[in-house]
Amino acid sequence: MTNSFGEFENAKLFFLIGTNMTEAHPVASYYVKRAKLKGAKIIVADPRNQALAKKADIFAQIKVGSDVAFLNGIMNVLINENLYDKKFVEENTEGFEELKATVLKYTPEKAAEISGVSADKIREIARTMAAIKPGMLCYTLGITEHTCGKNNVMSTSNLQILLGNMGMPSAGVNPLRGQNNVQGACDMGALPNVYPGYQAVTDPKNKEKFQKAWGVNNLSDKVGLMIPDMMASLPSKKVRAFYIFGENLARTDPNITHVEHELESAEFLVCNDIFQTETTRFADVIFPAAAWCEDDGTFTSSERRVNRVRKIKDAPGQAMPNWWIFKQLAKRFGHEWPSNSGQEIWDNELSQLAPAYGGIKFNRIEHDGLQWPCPNEEHPGTVFLHKDGKFTRGKGLLKGIEWTPPAEVADAEYPLVLSTGRRLFHYHTRTQTGRSGLDLILKEETADISAADAAKLGVKHGEYVKVSSRRGAVKVRAKVTDEIPEGLVWMSFHFSEGNANWLCNNVFDPETKTAEYKACAVRIDKI
Amino acid sequence: MDKQNDTMIKTIIDRYPKKDSAVMPVMQYLQKKNNNRLDDRAVETAAKAIGCSKGKIYGIATYYTMFNTQPVGKYHLQVDTCVPGFLQGADEILAHLEKKLGIKTGETTKDGMFTLSAVQDLGSCATGPVIQVNDRYFENMTVKKTDVLIDALKSGKEPENDPSMTVVSKCNILLNDRTKKDCRTLAFYKGNGGYQSLKKALSMKPDEIVAEVKEAGIRGRGGAGFPAGTKWTFLPKNDSRPVYLICNADEGEPGTFKDRQIMEFNPHLLVEGIAISSFALNAKKSFIYIRGEFDWIADILEAAIEEAKKDGQLNHVDIVVHRGGGSYVCGDETAQIESLEGKRGNPRVKPPFPANFGLYGCPTVVNNVETLSCVPYVIQNGAAAFQKIGVTNNFGPKIFGVSGHVNKPGIFEYPMGTPLKEILEAAGGVKGKMKGVIVGGLSVAILTAKEAEGLNMDYDSCNKAGTALGSGGIMVVNDTVSIPELALRTIEFYHHESCGQCVPCREGSLVIEHKLRDIVEGRGKMEDIDLILHLTKNIKGLTLCPTGEAFAVPIQAMVSKFRPEFEALVKK
Amino acid sequence: MDKKIFIDGREFAIDGTKTVLEIARENGIYIPSLCYLKKLGPASMCRVCVVEVDGIRNLQTSCSLMPTDGMKITTGSPRVIEARKMVVNLLLANGNHNCLICERNGDCELQEAAYNLGIDIPAFVVPEREEKDESAAFIIRDGNKCIQCGRCVEACNRMVVNEVLEMGNRGGHTHVICDNDLPMGASSCVQCGECVQACPVGALYEKKGVGKGRPWEIRKVRTTCPYCGVGCQQELHLKGDQIVRIKGVEGAQPNDGHLCVKGRYGYDFIYSKERLTTPLIKKNGKFEEASWDEALDLVANKFKQIIKESGPDAIAGVSCARSINEDSFYMQKLFRAAIGTNNIDHCART
Ligand SMILES: Cc1cc2nc3c(=O)[nH]c(=O)nc-3n(C[C@H](O)[C@H](O)[C@H](O)COP(=O)(O)O)c2cc1C
Ligand code: SF4
Ligand code: SF4
Ligand code: SF4
Ligand code: SF4
Ligand code: FES
Repeated sequence: MTNSFGEFENAKLFFLIGTNMTEAHPVASYYVKRAKLKGAKIIVADPRNQALAKKADIFAQIKVGSDVAFLNGIMNVLINENLYDKKFVEENTEGFEELKATVLKYTPEKAAEISGVSADKIREIARTMAAIKPGMLCYTLGITEHTCGKNNVMSTSNLQILLGNMGMPSAGVNPLRGQNNVQGACDMGALPNVYPGYQAVTDPKNKEKFQKAWGVNNLSDKVGLMIPDMMASLPSKKVRAFYIFGENLARTDPNITHVEHELESAEFLVCNDIFQTETTRFADVIFPAAAWCEDDGTFTSSERRVNRVRKIKDAPGQAMPNWWIFKQLAKRFGHEWPSNSGQEIWDNELSQLAPAYGGIKFNRIEHDGLQWPCPNEEHPGTVFLHKDGKFTRGKGLLKGIEWTPPAEVADAEYPLVLSTGRRLFHYHTRTQTGRSGLDLILKEETADISAADAAKLGVKHGEYVKVSSRRGAVKVRAKVTDEIPEGLVWMSFHFSEGNANWLCNNVFDPETKTAEYKACAVRIDKI
Repeated sequence: MDKQNDTMIKTIIDRYPKKDSAVMPVMQYLQKKNNNRLDDRAVETAAKAIGCSKGKIYGIATYYTMFNTQPVGKYHLQVDTCVPGFLQGADEILAHLEKKLGIKTGETTKDGMFTLSAVQDLGSCATGPVIQVNDRYFENMTVKKTDVLIDALKSGKEPENDPSMTVVSKCNILLNDRTKKDCRTLAFYKGNGGYQSLKKALSMKPDEIVAEVKEAGIRGRGGAGFPAGTKWTFLPKNDSRPVYLICNADEGEPGTFKDRQIMEFNPHLLVEGIAISSFALNAKKSFIYIRGEFDWIADILEAAIEEAKKDGQLNHVDIVVHRGGGSYVCGDETAQIESLEGKRGNPRVKPPFPANFGLYGCPTVVNNVETLSCVPYVIQNGAAAFQKIGVTNNFGPKIFGVSGHVNKPGIFEYPMGTPLKEILEAAGGVKGKMKGVIVGGLSVAILTAKEAEGLNMDYDSCNKAGTALGSGGIMVVNDTVSIPELALRTIEFYHHESCGQCVPCREGSLVIEHKLRDIVEGRGKMEDIDLILHLTKNIKGLTLCPTGEAFAVPIQAMVSKFRPEFEALVKK
Repeated sequence: MDKKIFIDGREFAIDGTKTVLEIARENGIYIPSLCYLKKLGPASMCRVCVVEVDGIRNLQTSCSLMPTDGMKITTGSPRVIEARKMVVNLLLANGNHNCLICERNGDCELQEAAYNLGIDIPAFVVPEREEKDESAAFIIRDGNKCIQCGRCVEACNRMVVNEVLEMGNRGGHTHVICDNDLPMGASSCVQCGECVQACPVGALYEKKGVGKGRPWEIRKVRTTCPYCGVGCQQELHLKGDQIVRIKGVEGAQPNDGHLCVKGRYGYDFIYSKERLTTPLIKKNGKFEEASWDEALDLVANKFKQIIKESGPDAIAGVSCARSINEDSFYMQKLFRAAIGTNNIDHCART
């Protein structure tokens, strides 16, 4: 997030697209609702008429996968009606002419045709956003989990830059991270192209720096594989050993049949986990790990805040902290790593190597965490990025982006669109929530459908149906709800059976390799 | 049906500056449409229409007594057993109905025809006993008339109501000749010089009107006696927010039934008063908040407003009649504002005062019906003429309602300061021997017959006598009445009406009620009497709104002035 | 000239931002309060916080009283104490305040007020009114302990804006309702627990914590929620190493005491019997327990063999987006420094 949760309550306008905070980021949604009580305007763009959409001042019920066209339509109005922030654009950005050329093709009428949101509403949104500033744009996986995910992301930033909603409180582009520590895992360099702190592996200076710090001379300057490519390389044995730490890929990745085939074909699979999962079934070796509350360390939240995580008990049996396991393995490669605790790893290693965390030390985050960038120990942390329009890369980049449809669209055989996500009462594949009593509230998956489709199918609320795609089929109960428009089916991936990932399409954004969880074609049959 | 609902609901919502204010009218509409019941579906419809949670609607529905979240019979018989009703024999009617219908109070007959309830004050103190059937009143009931009523209802007919009582006007300013059939019409009103005062006012500067009203010294007739003109000057100057005027027509204080006399028979007087006052205060929107039980009177007011509008009298102000939902506390100005904003009628903490932060957080004046009805006279005849009526510092005409043990209960428009004796004589004199008298509505201290001797009916004299003029509702209690039982009735009313926000009122009234019932029913102990006095002493001044005081004062007076009666019951 | 007030003869400077109650509290002067909750602001409903102010006839509620220059305030006069005692007595009398078996014993604002006022047995007792509502997954409501302070209702409507709770009925019948007076488990309540955290007494409490620990046995540890990316700050209440309940950390960034159902109640998994407790090695299709050395050696040797045969890029790893930073840091360090490949990723985009 460029900005912070603390700025939500005083925001004047929210533009929420592809984010269902009420269920996926509940506490953030409280602040949005409170801002509304104080008079903030809320614009929601979402295929589902979810809780915040119902509270919104303007609700644009967009078709799945139409985001770029819809956002271009808004920008078309901003430019055509001269409503954008000319001064900000001139002084702080580049690429405006290119953006303009693309966007002008997306008249509100054209955007309306693609997105299903009326041209008038698109105009109303543009005018409202131009009139009330600053505005905060938030998104979640509804933007990223598409084959055009990266383009979606860039379109949101185009919009906010065009409005000059950058570099000040209660503004910015704010992706709410799905998991507690996705931000941190990225920051830590668990990415194939960068060292901790986003230092490119291809830059010789970085290589030298890390070789020196780690006392090695073999660091690779070749960008590594991303998850889908790793998995795809398993059957061909291009990747022979696969190490999965904590993830239940057999249920969280699209097209489970295919994923299980890939995992099955791994020559040697190692897992660290706290439970047996659908994934560890395929492992050759499983290391028992310490869980939350069993180790000291940090999480980094969506707002770039490094928060302390504390130990209250030892891990059960012989289970050990994950870092300890990695350290023991490294030892067998002849590396003696000095640190013996989360604090030592952070204070003595990581924060020395990643400049943005240079000033963050455990003793400074005993209470509230610090937000990076925080380059030195006197630095108070950074509440919002790009202050005064100063972008990290110099000038903010505007880029014309064309809309592309999802890889698989509804057709005669599979006439419905399936979109997926999280529900309030569970988290991922329930390894945690399923063992904490939350099943008391939600104990099985449903296929959420509209009353119109239910009637067409002759299905009643609560009846079992078969949902199938080109990749698989599941049996779940139908949940008839006014949140869902005609033509859409919505499901989550919390339950092993009835998991939406049996159906999802394993196609990916070409650059980010994020899967298209949000759109594929399915059919529903009464059983 | 749903379409029709939607348009009706939209019309209702459009009457108000803010949607939330329409919540009660929408609920009232839905309840009427739905066999007098606000079931879950209706709750949901209302929530959707207003855009709020179901909880909020349900919270409102159960706060106000007139919403039925549970099923009721086709005819909901509601017998007023509060103090005035009690004095006039309502208990006998209730007992008779129980026997006749074969059900207990609170039950519904098997055939779903009748639900029988005992309710608190209905504002028909001189015409009791009264039975409210759904939203119609049947006054001056006797056992025989009750039989006629039930039989008629059974055969699907509704008999005529008999609201007759003694009406005497010495001043002829507030009351008109109600024997004339067309007394409520614009033509009748204009024929007697009506709307001349408004015409004059519209040619004056608003400040001049305020000055004249202030000069006249009209003391607020809602009970507190605060000078209206002075209150008006508290409105902030040069403020960009809209100003609202609310006419308080909640008339919920037991013993009080004066405002309805103006509204029912002389509605244009009030409309003119509001029109002048709104102009003086620069209020473009004004409300008459009328207690919901007076549904038919609200209709009369709406008709009068419509007539006046057509006649071009109301070009400068839009007057909205807003029906309450059954709550005494909503007579308190801040509770009334909350209620009008579409909430539970919980009084607000003061400060801030309504003049600065009232309806929707805007400058607001709340005045009583009778207060505003004095305004046309003041503007037409001048402050000096007004001051010629009444006594120093207590000017103008006052409507007194006399109920209880007198021979000819009714209403009496007399100058302020008229001796109590004279008013009681006009009411046919005391029936039997006077034990005590409550002179200003149930919330003031009872006077013993001795204390009442020589009392003049104005604010200052009453204060001096250790009681208050309040609303001018006079209830005479003769020696057949047990004061402990009267005290129990009194606390039952306040406990029933407490909004429940603050502890001393909510829990204090509960404990006092329990203890008084123990005493009346022979289970009491001597300590209970002292406990009641301990509670009343500490509750006074400790509550969020004046309601705590409104029961602490009368209960304390009854117990301390008639202590031997309480002790006798304990000793037995 | 600086403005000042006098509380019980002591002088305090005022700046127009604090109420009398806040000033008194900050300076160690005890005034009981029940309906007041800092983040909700004054409600002025319970009337227990009253004080006497020179020149003002009625007692004033200190929670809402903004001091003016020169104000002289007495917090403990006989009149004040008598009024407070009456208020507390009334509340004790009209509910079931059997502290012995109450979850909030020792951490209850009513009990604290009663204790400070020296009240032992309520002077007048009126029968109970409501039944317990145990219908919800995680929250128990006990209407007989409810003092109608309204804090839960305000919290539900103004803090988390879930708009479930309301006050129903009025007067002595006033009670907290969910939706249109449904059992909590059947209502639209999402079990965020905001109301529980707001409740001053034992009228709302955590089902999971029942019988698990007394306030004085509790150790409190601050940590971060393991679920979504908001990063809420939690206060774990522990007895030994057992979590008895979780509260949001008041005043903390970013959540100022708020949590959601997962953050507040989703913690038992760490105690699950299904936890992995030893390294496992698959032999003939079955997992067998192994020692750490055995398992680590096996993995290291296999990796070394593959590196030798196919180069380091034949090994790939996925880190965990749920575990601590330090784990991810060490995993990528293992892959880069020890194995020699950049084949390290995680579910960065989910
Ligand atoms: C519990 C309570 C009930 C009240 N009921 C009424 C009422 O029914 N009618 C009324 O005019 N004033 C009532 N009042 C007084 C109003 O708060 C307010 O003072 C009055 O409407 C002001 O009008 P006035 O100045 O013209 O009298 C009540 C006050 C309290 C505390
Ligand atoms: S005194 Fe009674 S009516 Fe007034 S606010 Fe308190 S509880 Fe409500
Ligand atoms: S748990 Fe949350 S949603 Fe439920 S009633 Fe309490 S505050 Fe409201
Ligand atoms: S449940 Fe608790 S917080 Fe809610 S009103 Fe009752 S005592 Fe207050
Ligand atoms: S408490 Fe809820 S909102 Fe907060 S971090 Fe945890 S899961 Fe997210
Ligand atoms: S704490 Fe002040 S009135 Fe309750």
